[in-house]
Amino acid sequence: MAYEETMTPRERVMNALAGLPVDRTPVSNPTNVATVELMDMVDAPFPDACRDPQLNAELAATGYTELGFDSIQPYFTIIQESSALGCEMQWEQKDNWPTVRMTNPIWKGESDVKIPADFLEHRDMVSVTGAIEILKKQFGDEVAIIGKSMGPWTLAYHVFGVETFLLMTIDDPDMTMRIMDKLKEATVLFADAQIAAGADAVCIPDHATGDLVSGEYYKRFLQDIHTEMAQRIDAPLILHICGKTLDRMPYIAKTGMAAFHFDSRNDPEEAMDAVDGGIGLVGNINNPQTLYSRGPDEVRKEVYACLEAGVQMIAPECAIPLQTKLQNLLAIPDAVKNWSAERL
Amino acid sequence: MTTLELLSAREVVTRYGDCVELVPMDPNFHDISVGLYELDGISTVWTFSRRPGVEDRMRDIVKRLVKLGGMEVADAWNQLRFPCGHLHTRPLKFLTTAAIERTAERDRPEELQIQDSKSTLTIDMTGQQYGNRYVYRIATTGEARNPALRLRAIMAGFVRYGEMEKIDDSTIAFNCGKKHDGLARLILPYSRNISAFEDAMEADALRGQMTTSTLGFAST
Repeated sequence: MAYEETMTPRERVMNALAGLPVDRTPVSNPTNVATVELMDMVDAPFPDACRDPQLNAELAATGYTELGFDSIQPYFTIIQESSALGCEMQWEQKDNWPTVRMTNPIWKGESDVKIPADFLEHRDMVSVTGAIEILKKQFGDEVAIIGKSMGPWTLAYHVFGVETFLLMTIDDPDMTMRIMDKLKEATVLFADAQIAAGADAVCIPDHATGDLVSGEYYKRFLQDIHTEMAQRIDAPLILHICGKTLDRMPYIAKTGMAAFHFDSRNDPEEAMDAVDGGIGLVGNINNPQTLYSRGPDEVRKEVYACLEAGVQMIAPECAIPLQTKLQNLLAIPDAVKNWSAERL
Repeated sequence: MTTLELLSAREVVTRYGDCVELVPMDPNFHDISVGLYELDGISTVWTFSRRPGVEDRMRDIVKRLVKLGGMEVADAWNQLRFPCGHLHTRPLKFLTTAAIERTAERDRPEELQIQDSKSTLTIDMTGQQYGNRYVYRIATTGEARNPALRLRAIMAGFVRYGEMEKIDDSTIAFNCGKKHDGLARLILPYSRNISAFEDAMEADALRGQMTTSTLGFAST
């Protein structure tokens, strides 16, 4: 029987997140796709596109309208909440990511942790919620709209500085947990606001990365918090953690989140074994080498490896390099469709 | 009024091939991105920007690719090729960057000569036709502790960045065997200091990448 697409992109993504059957594996990057060429196409360059709802929506939509992904993700960076919390920002230029100046942290300890009353009204928060409203109005139920709300671990890096925060986890783990509990409320607030604006699912990046902390650290400090988020936030959640994460995947699989967005430093088959059906996987096409500097043939090989392993949604491993060439991005949905035509 | 069509990403790749070089921000025209797409030996200068004046800017870039790199205009005003029919992929990177990011005032002089960056030597290139191949001889003049060592390093730079073939200790040729003074002139400054240039290229490649390192979430 010939392979035929019978679902809308939104149905495909939502079914995959719910563990239900799909007509083909969806292509959906929970951490966005934006490039300098796409910025020019819709005249929505960085950093303006990160700070203006209309520009944000227009750039985000190109992931669906131009590249053929099954979802739209209108939160490009990882710094919107940190800007709203008062962190010192470096907005950069069109060809680079805005960052938080973590060398000048705004908080020193537990007593400093306060979420401003107007947190959700800050322009860098409205740029996301406003963009979701625009996209929902434009696309309705045609394509999945995925929001993003940074987890407490990432927020702690930004507000305390990475080194200070990691030392805190050693010197005073109880205080660290209390801080995590307070910061978690910022994550939930923003996720809820995006769902109210029309987001179908929410990505929760929480950078307890393999480079800096162990799987046991994840279990000790974050597993329960992520479990609570999955219970409280009324939409499928997609956890994102960069780096080698095989050691924490069994814990992540027990949180009740819908999917885990994983890095190319983890073999897709080993990752599928590690989560053992407890959570869906999204990923894991390599960014710095494959998408940035290789070609469509190499992209197709990685997509096929993920599909053969049974990865539930295909995506670049993280936010794509801003200079990624279009042929490599177009190769991702092409490869998924070709694989489906060959196998289904 | 522009004659640049409004094309989708898919249409551009289908019509013009893969993007082989991408300058993310043109400092001489509203920071627009400019790509060089390649299909069947033809390079197409393309941008998705439709800012007023963009076609004139694209035409300027085409002129500079012709002037600096010796390319020739092919089927359409924004399409070019090297007369030898080869692609010269690696030198094309230097050519594209020079054509877009530099202004004419900063173009290198005509002569194939430059001061060494690591010694007081002067580096000279002279080209000559030998049979069916055009070869370039590299020579150094002046005082240095070990001129032969410097010459070897400079030759290695040409082989690396020009995709050139080493014929003997002081002569090299482009892989097509043809004369390309423009490309040689562009590569000359980079051939002097491979390590510094490699560091700069690595930094360029990291710009715009979101990784644990660039986010500051890594131990190194």
